[in-house]
Amino acid sequence: MKRGRFSILAAVLVAVTGSTGSAAALPNLGSNVSVRQLATGTTAIVQTLGGPPVAAVELWYRAPSTGFGTKPVPSLARLAAQVVAASKPLVGTALGELVKNSGGRLGISVYGDAIEIAAVVPANAARDVVRTMTRAYFAPVMTDTGFKIAQSDVAQEAVFESFNPATVARDAVFSSLFASGPQHYPALGSVRDLSAITLADARTFATRAFRAQNAVLVVSGAVPQSIAAAAATGRSAESTLATAEEHATREIATAPEAVAKTFGEPTGGYGWVGPPISNEREATALDFIADYLFNSESGYVTRALSEGNPDAFVVGQFITLHDPGVMFVGFSGKQLDAVRAKVDDGLALMKKPLPAATFPRALAAFEYHLLHDLQTPVEMADNFGWYAVEGNPEYAPGASGSSGRYFQAIGSLTPDFVAAVAEKYLGRPPVTATLLPAPKKASETK
Amino acid sequence: MMRPARIAQLAFVAAFALTGAAPAPKPVASPAEALRFPRASLTDLGSMKLQAESDGDARLSGVQVFFGAGLDRQTTVQSGVAALAAECIARTPVDGAPLRDAIAAGGGTLAYTIDARAARYYLEARSEDLPAILGLFARALAAPDFSAGTVEAARRALSARVTEIESDPRSVGVEMFRRSYYTAGAGLPAFGTTASLASLGANDVTAFYGAQYRRGGVSVSAVGRGTPEITAAIRRLGDAVPAGTLAPVASKARPIPENAPRIVARRDIGAPLVVVGFAAPSPGSKDFGAMLVLESLLANSFERTSATTLGSVQRSVGASYLYDGSPAGVVVYVNGGRVDATVVIRELFIVSKSLGTRPLGADSLRHFKMAAEGAFVTDAISLSDRSYFLGTLRAQGLGADAINAALASIERTTAADVQRVSKKYLQRYIVALVLPRTAPVGS
Repeated sequence: MKRGRFSILAAVLVAVTGSTGSAAALPNLGSNVSVRQLATGTTAIVQTLGGPPVAAVELWYRAPSTGFGTKPVPSLARLAAQVVAASKPLVGTALGELVKNSGGRLGISVYGDAIEIAAVVPANAARDVVRTMTRAYFAPVMTDTGFKIAQSDVAQEAVFESFNPATVARDAVFSSLFASGPQHYPALGSVRDLSAITLADARTFATRAFRAQNAVLVVSGAVPQSIAAAAATGRSAESTLATAEEHATREIATAPEAVAKTFGEPTGGYGWVGPPISNEREATALDFIADYLFNSESGYVTRALSEGNPDAFVVGQFITLHDPGVMFVGFSGKQLDAVRAKVDDGLALMKKPLPAATFPRALAAFEYHLLHDLQTPVEMADNFGWYAVEGNPEYAPGASGSSGRYFQAIGSLTPDFVAAVAEKYLGRPPVTATLLPAPKKASETK
Repeated sequence: MMRPARIAQLAFVAAFALTGAAPAPKPVASPAEALRFPRASLTDLGSMKLQAESDGDARLSGVQVFFGAGLDRQTTVQSGVAALAAECIARTPVDGAPLRDAIAAGGGTLAYTIDARAARYYLEARSEDLPAILGLFARALAAPDFSAGTVEAARRALSARVTEIESDPRSVGVEMFRRSYYTAGAGLPAFGTTASLASLGANDVTAFYGAQYRRGGVSVSAVGRGTPEITAAIRRLGDAVPAGTLAPVASKARPIPENAPRIVARRDIGAPLVVVGFAAPSPGSKDFGAMLVLESLLANSFERTSATTLGSVQRSVGASYLYDGSPAGVVVYVNGGRVDATVVIRELFIVSKSLGTRPLGADSLRHFKMAAEGAFVTDAISLSDRSYFLGTLRAQGLGADAINAALASIERTTAADVQRVSKKYLQRYIVALVLPRTAPVGS
C-alpha cells in the first residue's frame, strides 16, 4: 500500500515531459479521473466525486528529503515546504492562511524522496486553493517571517514525532536497511538538525524541488475536471531542469546491523527489503500479508495481542516504493519479548498456505479494508499522488475502481503464491531495531 | 519559547473583538455556490424511520443505528450499564464467533458509541455485503448474550477504556463539565467508572436491555450507495428488536451560576488542563447556526500561529460543541503545557464579554461564518461521520435533510444573532481544572 515515496512521477512525468508528451502516454485512472499535462509540465490528476461538498487539493514532488547536495541535511525538504506555506506573498494570501480561512486543513508530509502538500477544503474554495497552492510552490516566495514560523512549526512536530514509537522504530530500521540515500536518514530530523538549516538552504532546495515540471497536482472531490486550469503557470525552468527529478540513488546495506537505542518505552522494529512497485502481484501479496496480520481491528497479531497484552501496540505495513519496497513491522509494550513472540508467530504462519476455508474470507476482508481506506477525497488523492511519485499510477488502489490493476492483482492471489512471497521476502532475517528505556541508575532503584 | 507570538495573537483577537470591526483576516474570495451535501431522504419503515443520503459512486455504505439507550437512561448507580450492554451485544456469538469478529471476517466493521441520548452502532461494508452484515447484527440483537462470562469479559474491556480516558486530561475535563452541568444520567461518563462497572452484573445488563432496547426507540441513518436490499435488511433489523416504545426522558441541565464555579481533579499528568464549559443551544434551536460560528471562533482564535493545521494532540486551545445532549453545551479547553493558561482564559472571558456587547463587523462575520461552514463540512466526510451527523441532528430537530439544514443555519446567521447568542450563553461558565497530582494547592 501507499506510504512510500517515489516513483509515479517517474512514469507520469517522464511520459508527460519527455519527448512524446502526448496524451496517449498519460495513465488511464478511470472514467471519473482526468489526467493531463499542463503547459507548465505539471501532471494534473482530477477526480470528480459525488458525496460531500469537499475537495482534496494536493501537490506531490519527487525530491530527496535531505536535499540535493552531497552532504545530507535531514529535515531540509520538510522545512522548505513549511516555509513556503507560511510565507506571505507580495500579493494575495499565504497558503496556510487561505486554507484556514476557508475552514479547511493543510498538512505537509515528507518521505525519503517525496513531498506532499495536502489541503482538504470546502468545494467552493477548491479553485482558489489550487491557484494559491500552485502559485506558492511553483514560484516560491520565502520570507524571513515565514522561515521563523516554519522553524517553530517543524521543531514542534519533530519533538512530537520523537516520542512516537512507530516513527522512531521505522527510522531506525530504514537507517539500517539503506546504507546511503535519503532513506538512510529520518525525513524529519532532530530540532538540532533544523536549527542548522538557513533560509538560503531552504530557498536553494525549493527552487529546484518545487518546480512545476516536477509536480503532480491531484484534486479529488466535488469539483469539475476543469479545475486544473486554475493552476498557476509557474516560472520557466532552465533547460537542464525542464523535466522531473529522477529517483534518488540509494544503496541497500549488504550486511545490515541490528539497531539498539534508548527510547522511553520498550519498542521493537523489523524490516525487510521487498519487491519494487513494478512487481504488482508480489507487492499486493505483501499488502495482503500486512493486512491479515496487522490490521488495527482484525489482524491476527493485533487480536492475539489485544487478549494477552492489552498495553501493546503493533503496526505492520508493506511500504510500496519505486525500488525496492520495504516491509516494516513496529511493536511496543511492557513485555516486549512476549509481543515480539506473537509477531514472530504471525510471520511464521504466513509462510505456509492459509487454509482454503480461511483464504477467501481473508481476501474479502482485505478488499473491504482497502475500500474503507479509499472512501474520502483525501484518501483517493493521497493514493494517486503516492503511486504517481513512486512510478506506477495505474497500480494505485482506487484507479479505475474495482476493475483497476490493484484489484486485478488481488484477484490473482492464491494461498500458495502468498506463502511463496512470504518465504521469499520475509524468510530472510530482518533488520531489527530494539529501543529500550535507559537503565535506572543505582540511586533510582533503591 | 513561543510565548511572544502567542500573546501577540491573543492581543489581536481581543482588540478585534472589543472594537467589533476589522482587522479581520482577509476573507477568501466569496464563494459563488452554497455548500450542500446530497439531499437526504426519510423513509417510513413502520415502527422506525430511515434517513438516507446517497452517493451514486460510493462502493461502501455505512449505517448508523440509534437506540434510545444512552446515558440519560441510566441512574447514577447504573453508570456504565449502557456501555456494558453494547459491549455484550458486540461479543454475542453469531455463527460461532463474537458478532464483532464475525462482521470483520465477512468484510465489514461494527463499532458503538454511548451518547447522552443514544447508544449508537455503526456498521459499514460494501453495499452488496451490508445486508448480510445487518443480518448478523439483527441476530445478536434478537438474542444478546448477557451471560456472566460475557459480562465479565465486557467489563474488563470497558475498564481498560476507562483507564485510557482517565489518562487523557481533556476527556477528564469534559466529563467533569458534563457531570456538573447535567442533572441526571446525561452527565455520567460514557463507559462508567471502574468502581461502577464492578458493581454491575448480568441481571443489571439484562434489565437495562429489556427496558431500553425497544423498536419504537430506534432510528437509522444510512450513507453511501443505498440499495433496496439494504433497506429491507434495516427493516428486518427493526423486527429483531423487542416491540414497544420508550417514554421520553426529560434531560435537564443545572443553571450555570453567575459566580463561575470551579471544579478540580488531579491526575498523573505533566501540566494542567483547563476546560471552560458553557451552556449552548440545541441543534433544533434558531440559535444553532450562531453558536456554530462562535464555536469556530473560539476554537481558532487563541491557537498559536502555524502554517499547517495542528493535530488535536498538538493544539494548545480548542473548542467542542457537545450537542449529543439536550440541552447542549460548548467547551473550550486550554492545555497549560503549551500555553499560559491564565492568559488564554483571561482573553477568552474578555472576548466572550465583548462578543455579547457589540456586533461583529461585516468582514469579521463573513470570515467566521466561512470558517465555521468549512469546518463543519470538512468534519463530515467519512461515511461514519456523515451518518452520525444525519441521525443526531435530525433527532435534535433539524429535519430529514439535517446536515444541509445545519449549513443553512450558519448561512442565515447575522451579526445580531452572534451578539445575542454570545450574551445568552457565553457570559456564565463552569471551569474544570485538571491538575498534576504534584501541583501545590492553589496553583
